[in-house]
Amino acid sequence: MSLDLLFKIAGVGILISVFHTALKQAGKEDMAHLCTLAGFTIVLFWVVQLLGQLFTTVQGVFKLY
Amino acid sequence: MEIVQIVGLGFVVTLLILILRGQRPEIAVQLSITLATIIFLLVLAKIDVVLNLFRDLAEKASVNQLYLNTILKIIGIAYITEFGAQVCRDAGEGAVAGKIEFAGKVLVMVMAIPIIALVLETIVKLLP
Repeated sequence: MSLDLLFKIAGVGILISVFHTALKQAGKEDMAHLCTLAGFTIVLFWVVQLLGQLFTTVQGVFKLY
Repeated sequence: MEIVQIVGLGFVVTLLILILRGQRPEIAVQLSITLATIIFLLVLAKIDVVLNLFRDLAEKASVNQLYLNTILKIIGIAYITEFGAQVCRDAGEGAVAGKIEFAGKVLVMVMAIPIIALVLETIVKLLP
């Protein structure tokens, strides 16, 4: 099962917050925001794929064509 | 004992979301969406077995397929609507959740139209 996805997302989140803090301390505000955006996009990519899988499964189970 | 696994997963992910919510709320929301999706996928495999049993029973009792299929479709729409509305409400967007629920209700009503028509037809036949 895709349980490792949860831990991957949590890891990306923690990593992003660390990077954000470090870049902010270094005075690179724009880089910090870009870093946040990049992490968000990566996670969104995974989440959208999983949601697509869920909707396909629901359509298959309940014959919702 | 899959329920123990699911409850444990829920606890772990709740703690992770609590850590993330203070600093990155958007990632926390995505984490909760992922958890909801994974639990749904785990449970749907079981529901499939039950639904197949229902289909077999309906076939044996020679119930019209239209009725069972409509009910299953309505249950499916309700599941997806509830899922979407809960995710939006978790993220603090009650208004969006309300709109999703409204759309779900309308679609369920549309799905029920053939059955309502059949009921009316039967009543008209019964009348002298």
